Amino acid sequence: MASTLVTNAPVLAADGITKAFSSGPPWRRRRIEVLRGASLEVRPGELVGLVGENGSGKSTLMQVIVGLLARDAGTLSRPDRLGYCPQEPLLWDKLTVAEHFELFAAAYRLDDRTAEASRDGLLAELGYRKYLHYRVEQLSGGTRQKLNLSLALLHEPQLLLLDEPYSGFDWETYLRFWEMAEHRRADGMGILVVSHLLAERERLTRIYELRDGRCEAL
Amino acid sequence: MSRTSVFAREQLRAPFTLALLVAIPALFVISAAGVLSDFATALGGSLAGDAAVALSAGWAAAFISGALGFFQAASSRGADRRLVLAGLGPARVASSRIAASVLLAFVAAGTAFVALILRVGVAHPLHAAVAVLAFALLYLAVGVLLGSVISAPLEGSLLVIFVFLLDAFSGPGMSGSPPPWSVSQKAADVLIAAGSGVGSPTGDWIKLALVTITALVAAFCVFVAAARSRA
Repeated sequence: MASTLVTNAPVLAADGITKAFSSGPPWRRRRIEVLRGASLEVRPGELVGLVGENGSGKSTLMQVIVGLLARDAGTLSRPDRLGYCPQEPLLWDKLTVAEHFELFAAAYRLDDRTAEASRDGLLAELGYRKYLHYRVEQLSGGTRQKLNLSLALLHEPQLLLLDEPYSGFDWETYLRFWEMAEHRRADGMGILVVSHLLAERERLTRIYELRDGRCEAL
Repeated sequence: MSRTSVFAREQLRAPFTLALLVAIPALFVISAAGVLSDFATALGGSLAGDAAVALSAGWAAAFISGALGFFQAASSRGADRRLVLAGLGPARVASSRIAASVLLAFVAAGTAFVALILRVGVAHPLHAAVAVLAFALLYLAVGVLLGSVISAPLEGSLLVIFVFLLDAFSGPGMSGSPPPWSVSQKAADVLIAAGSGVGSPTGDWIKLALVTITALVAAFCVFVAAARSRA
């Protein structure tokens, strides 16, 4: 695994996170405990993996960290400037790639020059500039995933959360993705990659396995 | 480029949506007035003639606006929430999303009103226009409110239709005594009066404005509550 000298405080510290879901009708209510005290941390300049079987709660933990789901218990510390790349691209089908960049640049409060430079850099890095004025509904699955990832990176976040970020990527883009991640890690970004299978273990600072609702460092 | 115009453009890029925005209100006004009168007679109401035609314009605008409001909020919920978490905040996303829906509600109401004017002469066209718009805005609020908490298209659209049917068949003119919770009661009162050639008193206008604003504020609050960060 990659070793990185890290002295800064964690950019992500999750401690004892629990989350349960209820399902079924009121007279046959079932409570499913997905997270039972999950703890992990990511420091600046670390590229951390989170693995686990299908249904182990990886995406649930990611959604709790991002703020899409409320946690039942536990503490969470994360920076305001975070980037989130969800497993399923959360995009507007009828809007163009350019319009997506504009909306997210406004959300991140980037000035026009910074937003344009960052957008152009990401389009070049991931090689999909020619689709700038295409609507999302006209893009292939892989290109949607590139846009999904680009929107998470547009503002150069302190913490980058990636949930199965390379599904749909071809081999070349997959390798480019890892290069991008390593460059950003080297620049001090903290990165958490969630996957059911991590083939690139040597690139990671640390790996957690989510098992029985808890994270175990491997 | 404002967020509202982007969100409105998103809807207008669906040609079928545009066609429905124009076709449903026009067809409803042309074909539904007679049916409304028959139902009113069966339910013990007094709706008939030009008042029925006028009310059909309101219901036409309401139906298409409710459906649009629901699908705007429900179908874009995931991406909207991502934008909220990116830093835009739930209030700004909600206001842009609802403002875009309001623009489309204006189109639906405008089409319904034009169909009404072409079908019958209305003695108080301005009153009728405002009442039809109020119908559209009320149901837009119903649609956005339901779309903010229900993402399943079948369940959500059935609920919008359920509210619509309950309201339509128990509202003014359709039954002897409309229930006080009827969503569109005040809009229907003003529209039936305009269709019958009678102006509405100031009190009715104030109540109509209050009901419409309350409905839109409720939709905004539910959207914000559903979209806010849980971190």
